[in-house]
Amino acid sequence: MLPRTRSYVLALTAAVAVVALIAAPRVRADSAWPGPDAYTGASGDSANWVLPAHDYSGNRYIAKSDIGPDNVAKLTKVWSTKVDARGPLETSPIVWNGTMYVTSSHNDVYALDAKTGAVKWHFPYKPHVIAFSANRGVAIGDGKVYEATLDGHLIALNAQTGKPVWNVVAAHDTTNTFFTMQPVPYKTMLILGASNGDWGGVGYISAFDAKTGARIWDWKTIPGPGEPGHSSWSGDSWKRGGGAVWSGVAIDPASDTLYVDAGNPQPDFLGTIRKGSNLYTNSMVALDISGAKPTVKWYHQFIPHDTHDWDPAMPPVLFDATVGGASRKLVAAGDKGGNFWVLDAGTGSVVYHVAVSTQKGQNTEPDRAGDIACPNTNGGVEFNGGSYMPETNAFYVPSVDQCGLWKSQGTASYIAGQFYLGGGFPSLYGPSTGYMQAIDMATGKFVWRKHLAFPQIGGALSMSTGVVFTGGVNGDFTAYDAKTGSVLWHYPTNMTIQAPPSSYALDGKQYVAIAAGPAGVNFADPRFGKGAPTLEGTYKTPPTAMITAFSLP
Amino acid sequence: MRRLSHVSIVALAAFAVAVRAPAAAAVDDHAHAIAALADVRATIGEIVHIEDGNAVGHGAYLRAAHRALNALVGRRDDGYVPSFGDPGDRIGALGHIDIMLDVEGTSRWTPALEGAKANALAAAENLQTATGEREMEDYQADLTHALANLALVIGRASQDGVFGGISGALANTELGVPLGATSVSGCGLPARTPAYGVVSGMLAYVALPRASASSGLPQDLSIARVVVRGNDVVLYTSAAADAASACRAPHHRREAMRRRREHTARILAVAGGTTLPPLFTAKQAHAGAAVYAAACIQCHGADLQGSAGPSVAGNDFLTTAKTNHWHVSDLRTTVVENMPFSDPGSLTPTQYANVLAFLLASNCYPSGTTPFPTTDRPTYASLPLGPHAAPSGVAPRAKTGTCPVK
Repeated sequence: MLPRTRSYVLALTAAVAVVALIAAPRVRADSAWPGPDAYTGASGDSANWVLPAHDYSGNRYIAKSDIGPDNVAKLTKVWSTKVDARGPLETSPIVWNGTMYVTSSHNDVYALDAKTGAVKWHFPYKPHVIAFSANRGVAIGDGKVYEATLDGHLIALNAQTGKPVWNVVAAHDTTNTFFTMQPVPYKTMLILGASNGDWGGVGYISAFDAKTGARIWDWKTIPGPGEPGHSSWSGDSWKRGGGAVWSGVAIDPASDTLYVDAGNPQPDFLGTIRKGSNLYTNSMVALDISGAKPTVKWYHQFIPHDTHDWDPAMPPVLFDATVGGASRKLVAAGDKGGNFWVLDAGTGSVVYHVAVSTQKGQNTEPDRAGDIACPNTNGGVEFNGGSYMPETNAFYVPSVDQCGLWKSQGTASYIAGQFYLGGGFPSLYGPSTGYMQAIDMATGKFVWRKHLAFPQIGGALSMSTGVVFTGGVNGDFTAYDAKTGSVLWHYPTNMTIQAPPSSYALDGKQYVAIAAGPAGVNFADPRFGKGAPTLEGTYKTPPTAMITAFSLP
Repeated sequence: MRRLSHVSIVALAAFAVAVRAPAAAAVDDHAHAIAALADVRATIGEIVHIEDGNAVGHGAYLRAAHRALNALVGRRDDGYVPSFGDPGDRIGALGHIDIMLDVEGTSRWTPALEGAKANALAAAENLQTATGEREMEDYQADLTHALANLALVIGRASQDGVFGGISGALANTELGVPLGATSVSGCGLPARTPAYGVVSGMLAYVALPRASASSGLPQDLSIARVVVRGNDVVLYTSAAADAASACRAPHHRREAMRRRREHTARILAVAGGTTLPPLFTAKQAHAGAAVYAAACIQCHGADLQGSAGPSVAGNDFLTTAKTNHWHVSDLRTTVVENMPFSDPGSLTPTQYANVLAFLLASNCYPSGTTPFPTTDRPTYASLPLGPHAAPSGVAPRAKTGTCPVK
């Protein structure tokens, strides 16, 4: 054990012991569903995966693992289950007491036997799609499975049968707002952000009563007249200012602090009609959610007045790391502009800022003639983010390396239910590659960095034994040596990986699961799996979407 | 032989008539009139606000003139400068007036709206001049002229001629009848209320149940006489006297019937779905299918019902189009400016026109002899998309509601 991590590990062990005492009886009872205790104790639970990124810290890290650098090469596929393939799979599986709950891009929900992959029940859904089909998974609690949908609904299903219990319209304006985010259960609430930031809406994050679906509060990401930050918008541009809440959140239950990222401003590529820094777009905001309404503790804006749709897509990760010989409470973020950020979790001040993708032409606003800037809109750090491993005091984060050609139209008109961009999305300019990297949290410098042939957006899962898993858009699911970056194992899914890996244990055996499916709108790559149908409806390569689980023999 | 060829020419002509859709698009003129008034009032609001306020600096005054001009002319006009903002809607007062005037033949409201248009154009010129002024005195003179002209655009509810303006047309002609409201012959009294009495395009009265007479009064009505009749109140307009003499004229019944039939057809066309005029050729739609297969199919699917992206034809698309009030212009803008998603603007103008023809054909709109153009047309902003009946001889697919393109 490295001396610099000792204090952290001791603290962690103590915390896990306390949590285990509280949570153990509930976790073991087969009939029980996870509640607030199981959620807060999730960081010490290696058998289940009850929250989107394992626990409230947002850190996909497994403290107790049987899979390590010495045996990961023996990892083999245990089962694969096909799901609806009408779009990319972005689901983060929820695993509870031997059942895995996953979603498809069009909001179908599946309950699978986590040991065999057999479908226990399937809830089909046919939403109207505004722009992109994608869903990041369900929440579980109180005998229910919760899903937020592409047509702006929040639905509770009976977790044992898959039959709807309640169904509410949770979006304020269903013409321009939909949901992709995985609802996060907290106390008696479900926390959910709205995706409307490229369609002329104003972003918000809401809390709903998990029993009834009734709205408890909304927090809007764009300050209105009279609110602090309003003067960062010229004229009435704030009214369609964007700032969607796409990604996951991190929560510090001890202080009731919610860490949330607000997305890019709108119109995306036309800054001249929204002069100013455009708060709280492209910002991390720490919200106190102990009261009736959230209040802002601090915020940090990563890219003021963004004109390239470079929102902080990576879900926040809360962690304690050793910086300058002392343990500090930190929160990590990453944006599509190719920046990886580490902030002080108590104040929002910047501790580290590391460029993890090629950066060029970032301060030039797109014009009618067009200009090249890097990364591309889907570049940088993407929506599955990274993971911190205390044993190495390093942060593992994949990234996308692309450049784009942007053109602004000089005007932007709002058409309900259509993009509100002031230009088109950029065209890929030059190569499309990716990186997997480890960043030392003692120094903010790279420990190792791998340049890969394909964009890496699958997120990272780290294990205390020293293995890190991630997936690329070419479908390779890979395990790296956390210390050296050597590839220890890989498995070709032959689909596109845009979902994060997860881990669980059943009857003493540890499993790693990953979802892979069609490329979708953003990551179609001519070098790999075209899967486009012909007009007669036949496919050269039929699209497939699969959940696959691996374990040691 | 000769007789045969005559027959075939007649048959061809009959075919041409059969496939030709109504020349004028079904539009809600009443709503356009109300919207035009709102835009004119927004224009006046900007002027009054800057004149009454304590604005400092040259820029604030020029901005007000630009904003007023924007509300008056609408976004498709060259004088429109988006960066100043727009207190009106996207069509603008002049746009709305143009749409109302853009019908075959003349209506009872035509003289009033032509008057309104002439005055609106004069006001637009005053405002355009104001945006270039350097001296406050000149600026204020321009705005004063603009205000005088705008007052005439609004007009007077007591007149239905050229001085009536938009208010006069709304108060005294069938333009005042909202879409979906009951319209009866104004020569008699209605069996049921609420109802609008119309004679030869003139609005003679509005009959309302007494219980709702205080809250249900139509906008911009000029009431010349009030008659209480049982549980109803009949509000006679300034045009009632002219309407009464029209009723005494021998042709009034036939005329009233004709007007009523036209109006009903217009209401049905909108309520039951939209019927677009032919906007493209079948050959174009066929060529567009290849463009779709190469550039769109990956996200929108072979059945046009969407996969990673949304549906672009059929029941789901047309229902959404109706809910979101999409017009042909919105479809065109989205496709030409934002698509293909991964490489916008990468198709040629001809390819864009062809793929739009393919989308319209897949949405069961009729083809014709004029190709879909490679540039925008102002009329597209007034052609709404929504569920509608397929052209005769074309069967939509049962599952999706899309029409095959051959």
